This record gives sequence, structure tokens and C-alpha cells, in this order.
Amino acid sequence: MERVSTLERAIRTVLIVLVLVFFLFPIFWIVLMSFQNNDQILRIPPSILFEPTLANYTTLLTGKLQTTAGNLDIAFLKNLGNSLLLSTGSVILSLILGVPAAYAFARFKFRLGENIAFTLLSFRFAPPLLVLLPLSLYFKQLGLTDSYFGLIWIYQLICLPLILWIVRGYFEDVSPDIEHAYRVAGHSWWTTFRKIAIPLARPGIAAAGLLAFIFAWNNFVFALILASADKQPVTVGALAFVTASGIQYGQIAAAIVLSVMPTLLLALYAQRYLVEGLSLGAVKG
Amino acid sequence: MSGLVLSHISKGFKSGKVLEDVSLDVNAGEIVAIVGPSGTGKTVLLRIIAGLQEPDGGTVAIDGVDMTEAAPESRGVGMAFQNFALFPHFNAFDNIASPLTARHTPSDTLKEKVGAVARMLKIDHVLGHAPRELSNGQKQRTALARALVAQPKVLLLDDPLRNVDAKLRYEMRMELPRLLRSYNAAVIYVTQDYKEAMALGDRIAVLRGGRIEQWASPRDVYAAPASVEVAKLFGDPTINLLPATVAQGGIQLLGRAVPTPQASGAVIAGLRPEHLTVSRSEIANGIPCELDAVMPVNVRSVLYMRGPAGEEILATVGESEAAKFGREHRQVWVDFAPENVLLFDAASGARIGHPAH
Amino acid sequence: MSLASVSETGSVPIRKRRFARHALPYLLSLPALLVCIGILVPFVTAVYYSLMRFRLNLPAMKGFIWFDNYINFLSDSAFWNTVSVSLTYALVTVVVELVLGLGIALLLVKPTRLNNLASILLLLPLMTAPALAALMWKLMTNPNFGILSYLVSLIGFTDFRWASDPRTALLTVTLVDVWVYTPFIMILLLAGLRSLPKQPFEAAALDGVPRSFVFFRITLPMLMPYIITASLFRLLDSIQQFDIVYSLTQGGPGDTLMVFQVQAYLEFFQYTNVGRSAALMMVLWAITYFLSNIFIKQWLKLRERARGVS
Repeated sequence: MERVSTLERAIRTVLIVLVLVFFLFPIFWIVLMSFQNNDQILRIPPSILFEPTLANYTTLLTGKLQTTAGNLDIAFLKNLGNSLLLSTGSVILSLILGVPAAYAFARFKFRLGENIAFTLLSFRFAPPLLVLLPLSLYFKQLGLTDSYFGLIWIYQLICLPLILWIVRGYFEDVSPDIEHAYRVAGHSWWTTFRKIAIPLARPGIAAAGLLAFIFAWNNFVFALILASADKQPVTVGALAFVTASGIQYGQIAAAIVLSVMPTLLLALYAQRYLVEGLSLGAVKG
Repeated sequence: MSGLVLSHISKGFKSGKVLEDVSLDVNAGEIVAIVGPSGTGKTVLLRIIAGLQEPDGGTVAIDGVDMTEAAPESRGVGMAFQNFALFPHFNAFDNIASPLTARHTPSDTLKEKVGAVARMLKIDHVLGHAPRELSNGQKQRTALARALVAQPKVLLLDDPLRNVDAKLRYEMRMELPRLLRSYNAAVIYVTQDYKEAMALGDRIAVLRGGRIEQWASPRDVYAAPASVEVAKLFGDPTINLLPATVAQGGIQLLGRAVPTPQASGAVIAGLRPEHLTVSRSEIANGIPCELDAVMPVNVRSVLYMRGPAGEEILATVGESEAAKFGREHRQVWVDFAPENVLLFDAASGARIGHPAH
Repeated sequence: MSLASVSETGSVPIRKRRFARHALPYLLSLPALLVCIGILVPFVTAVYYSLMRFRLNLPAMKGFIWFDNYINFLSDSAFWNTVSVSLTYALVTVVVELVLGLGIALLLVKPTRLNNLASILLLLPLMTAPALAALMWKLMTNPNFGILSYLVSLIGFTDFRWASDPRTALLTVTLVDVWVYTPFIMILLLAGLRSLPKQPFEAAALDGVPRSFVFFRITLPMLMPYIITASLFRLLDSIQQFDIVYSLTQGGPGDTLMVFQVQAYLEFFQYTNVGRSAALMMVLWAITYFLSNIFIKQWLKLRERARGVS
């Protein structure tokens, strides 16, 4: 019933293509760079036709960098491992802490619950350095600087509000009568929670968990300030990488590609839930 | 004593009192129907019995044991929810079996029991289906089977026929009494429909404004309603309620003296439509009325009339008789037996006793 | 507390419920409460530090000075530079992202195959770590081999210095911020647009109402809750931007991009002035607290609506 002229449709398509070029070109270009050697990168004018090389990746993965100044050890794999460990650990901890709390906030309307939920929410929007800088002073004294656990604990600042507010919404959508029916059938509260509430909120828990993983992975400032050198994730590691001497641009590009790929792939996989997750449940996709 | 005893249950929310001093007893094998308009605390009462809500005061005893403080899972109660409350991620079989798994029933006994109750409710062919694949009627039967399967001592049915279609409701109304009796449980059946209550209840509790307004057999609730409101709730078409004036030895109703017991002050007289006889020709002592409309309802027809002072009066007559009244506006004469007049106090609504009894 | 299930038929022990009813919510939220306290303790410490003369390299000078750190800001040009840079950054990025995001959302509003694919692909920048996104752009704007440097040289801007030139530094970080965060506004507004009721648009189409009128009088007002929520969301993040600025220029060149958090970071780690750094963070916190209160109200309304619709 809407009359869309051919001209308008053509203009729309052109605009969409332009938008896609702007937003995808950087990723495309960095991926290309990661398969080029230094000569190919420095060539003017740049060209998308070249003989691809895997050398950048093998260097990163073996961790041995041959330079004119001799051999250099690079800890990029270690960074990747740290990112994986920190993000996974944070998500698991935030699920253990957040899912029962989300359930409590959804089912029992109580003052303390609302206060906790809103405090965590408001700190989601407070400047992270406000909390991080004082923490960095006593992180050492607490012996947390050199532990993954200390960082995972701090990562709850990002993960917990996400889990709490998304999963809470899913619990609210489960009719309390369904749980009541299971209780009356003779099951304890705990069995009911495990067999009824959790399975029915599973899509929300999965979505929130994936998003929490992505946000933890992408976080930069927490680890920059609190992590010791051998606990640093890729976001911090890659920056140090850029300033290290003797590193080739192709290797930087390859490092960036390896660092962003996990979250990009997860995002494509979980795209159905991203809208809801990004808005903390305020907008449904 | 076996069965369910509620004593002096009261419950209030922020918005006000929901239940006040509710006492009931239901024997094993007995069905008690709780009737009342919506929002009178029927569901809250069921939840208190099931342990899903705590009463502010009063006690709940099952088979002589005080259960007021017990958790819902340890009360041995079966409950069918108005919205069915089936577990969406279990199939019908697992839904029905859930009370048995809680009791650690061995799997062969479990299969046998689920099979038996499913056959009885004619849902044995859909046991493998998920709730979303079931029709409303099948959902309702699954919920009922789940409530029955563990042979609970107390069975709570929260308006179970509310969300099913008319045909199924009719069938179930016939089936349920036999089915429920075979389980020998103390049954509480909550409904808004007086016909359902009359058909199913051995006794009826009329709940209004959080209080039990009448607690009697179906016959008594109909024939001797405790108040105007109960009288209005039971009966379709609803009872005629007419203002009457107290006269010597009785009342003055529709311009006619009716002998009644001692009455004073303002009274309201109630006359069931089926207790009126309507005649096309003038009869002795007949009350002249204007017939406005004739509306067939099932096998009876309802006559809409205007009394001498313009009061609206309803009467029901048999189908064949209704045809005689034709369709046009006309003069008719109404008669009734004095013993059928129900007399209520105009101020309190309480019934004043039966005339000529 | 024992939550084990009951034993056998018949001999069911009567479990009292009172404990569970009243203590359960608190037990369940205890861990989350601990995290809350874990945040509030350093927060209170920050408030305390902001009222102190506290330099890590001069521990002897440590002392309570009430509001002197704040009072000193008033006459401190570096502070006012930080305020103006942060506000400019936040406003410029949010406005550009809002206009672009709305435009793209309108382009993609019909759920055709191409549009759905495009809206999914546009998520990729948003899911890129901002710190890494900044590095990608750093490689692309490298004066020696950067593709963007090459492209602008083709249109006459040879020796375009991007983030290292004070005149174009803000433009460069804005470009990166826009690249990362426009998709955020876009997908929120797209979800909003697609959730709008159809009737007003059908009625307008039947009546032959001009499209500009439809857009300004129907679409925009109905979309307003989404626009406000998305903009406030972005404004809150943008005014405390750290990752992109720090990765790209560390606040430079000079103090061109000295936004709040970068300034506080340098104040703390380079000049070891804990008190001043804490006071700076408190000022930023006050701004974000004010904004987040407005935001949370908006967000709750929208959330209520989303829950109601489902």
C-alpha cells in the first residue's frame, strides 16, 4: 500500500551500502593488514591485491619475534588466555551471585532488594575511576594485584548489573502460579527454583551471560589500573604491544584481529538478545 | 477428625481486609463449593489453605494436624489453578507425575498411577504433548489430573472451569462429582457460577466481602438465602426484589396484602421468577401488569413486565406457554403463593424469616 | 539451612515455612549486597581522599583540608579545560551519533532481508572493544601507511595529522566514538520504530499526509522516549570516555583531549596527586549522578512498557 518509487528504493540501497562501508571497512582493512608483510603494508598506493602471508599469526602464536635486534618474547597468547580466564570467571561468578538475587528481586518485593538493584545500576553509570583509583591503593595491601580473583571480583561492577536487570525481567515473566503449583505438588523451594524457575528463565540467563562475557572481554580500564603485567587481558596487552619496539604493523593488526574475533563471533551468535541486553531490558528487540 | 478445618482465618493486605473470621470444615469425601463475586477473597483463601500465603490470624488443620505454619510442599494438598499453571517445559505426563516424583514414587507405580488418572480424564492419548500443544480442555484436564494423581487429603479447585468453553464446562459439571467422590478427598471448589456450585457442592459457602455470608446446603441457599445479596447471586434470571410496606399481620406487596411473620420498618420482598404465574386473562386477585417482552432462554422463557407502580418484574414460563403471549405489548395478570415470598430487612439486607412457615 | 526434599509418601515431615518466607530474599541477595558494599567502600574512600592533601610521593604532607581541592579547581585553568573538553566531546559525539543513528534506523526500518542483515552487521563495531577500535583507527590514520591518510591525500590534504594535530584531534576521536557507538543508538531506535503502533501511519497514508509532516508530527513524538533514553545512555558513557581517548592520544596532543577520566588517571599515576584526582572524579560523579537519575526514570518507564507489551 506504500508507494515506493524505484528512485527512492535505489537511493535507499545506495545509502545502506555507504553505511555498511563506513562501519565495516575498518574491520575489513585490519583483517587485510594482518595478512600482509611490512613491505605490502607500506606500499603506496595501498592495494587490496597481494600475496597473503600467515607469518604475522605464526609469530604471535609461537610468541617468538625475530627482529634485527635479536629474539623478542611476546606474551600475546598469555594475554588471550588472561582475557578468556577473566571473562569466563567473571561471568560464572556473576551468574552465581546474580541469578539468585535477580530471582529474589523479581519474586519478593522488598526494600533492601530494590536498594541493591538500584545501587548497582547507578554505579553502572558512575565513572569507573572513582572506584578504581582508591582500590588500586589497597589492592596491593590486600594481595589482590597479582590474583585473577581480585580482578574477577572487580569485573562484577560490569557483569552484575547486567545479569541482575536482564534475568530479573525474565523471572518476572514467569507466572508465580507455575512455581506455586510445583510447591503444592510437594517440592521444596530449592527444587522448585532449580527445576522450574531456572529452566524457564534460561534464555534470559544465556543472553545476559553472553553479553556479560562480551563486556568483560572488551573492558580496558579495570585491568589497566589493577592488573599486574602477567594478568593483563588483550585490551591492555595490545596497547603495550603497539609501543613495544621492533613490532611490525602486520603483527599489531593480527593481534587486534585475534582480540576482537571472539566477541564479534559471540555477538553474531547472540544478536537476537543484544538489543534487550544493551538497554538492560528496557527495549525488546 | 479427617478432612479440613479452617478456624477464624483472617487476612488483610495494604489495600484492606480480604478475609475476616472465615471458619469452614470439609469432611473427607465431601465437596464444599465456595461461591462469591470476584474479589471477595476466594483465591486468597485457597492459597492460605495450600500454604502459599500466610493468614494474619486463624488456623488451618488437615486431618486434625495444625498446618498453619507448614510449608506448601508438606501439606499433602492437591490444587488446580484457574490459569492451569502447567509447567511449560514438561510434557503432560511429567506435569501430571510431578506430585509423585516429589514423593519418590518408584517409576513403575508412577507410570501406572499417571496412566490411570489420565485414562479416567480421557487424556491418555496426549501424555507426550507439551502444554502449548494441548487444547484448553486438555490443559484443564491435565491440571486436574496433576491435582488428583497423588490422592491428596485435601483438593483445592480454583474455578477450574472458568477458562474452558461452554460445552466442556457442561460435560465436566456432570462428570466431576462422580470423579471427585471416588478420591475421598476433602474438596474445596471455588466458583463464581452458582449453577456450578449447586451442581457440585454438598455444601455451599457464600463468601462476600471477605466473610462467609451463608454456609448451608445448596437447597437451603436457594430456598432460604441468608440475605438479599445471596438471593441475587443464586438464580437466573435473578430474583425480583420489590419494596413492600409493613401492614397489620403482614405486608403490602404489589397492592396486595400478604400474611407474613412479625416485620417492622422498611422491608424488601423477594420473589423468584419461577414462582410467579402469569395469565393472559384476568384472574381473581391477579395483579395487573404490562408485559414488555418475552425472551426465550433455553427451555424456559423470561417475561419482562411492569408492575402497577412501574416496578420491573420477571417471570419464567415453559416454552409452550410462552408462545401464547405473542410478541406484542399487552396486559397480563400475575399471581404468586404467599409462602414463596422471601422477606428481607431493607437496611441490613438480612432475611426476616419465611412467611407462613 | 536444609533444603533437601522430603522423604516418603505419608510420613512427610511438616517443614515450617516461616523461616524461608522471611529470610529467603535476604539470603539470596546477600552476595549481591556484598558486591554493593565492595563498591561503596572505595567510593566512600574516594570522597574522603578528595577532602585531603594526599600525594603519594610526599606522604608527610598528607592531611585533611576540607574543600580546598575543590576550591582550587575554581581558579585552575586545567580544570576548566577538562570540563570544557569533556562536555564538548560528550555533546558532539552524542549529537552526531543520534542524527546518524536515527537516519540509519529509518533506512532499515522495513524488515527486509537486506535490512536485517545490515542491522546485524552494524553490531560489529559496537561489540569491538573501544580500546582496540581506537588501535584500529590508529593504524588506519598512520601518517606513513594509513589508508585514511592516503585517502585524504587524494583529495588534497597531504600531511593530514589526524589525532596528533590539535586542530583535528577532536575530529579523530569523535570519528572513532561515532564508529563504535552509533550502532547502539541505531539498534535502540530501530527496535523503538518497529514497536510503534501501525494505525497512525496507515491513517496518515490514507489521508495522503505529506511524509515530512508524518515524520515530525507522528514518528518523532512517538519515538521520543526511545530517543531520550538512548541519548542519555550515551551521554552518560560519553562524558566519562576513557578507553578511546587514552588508547589514541592519552589526552594529547598537549591538553587538547584531556577529558575527566584521562585527567584523573594522569593526575593519579603521573603526578601521584591522589587528593586532586579524587576531587576531579567527585566532580564527574556529581554530573553523572544527576544525569543518571533522569536517565533511570526514563529507562524504568520504557522497561515497564517493554514488559507490559510482552
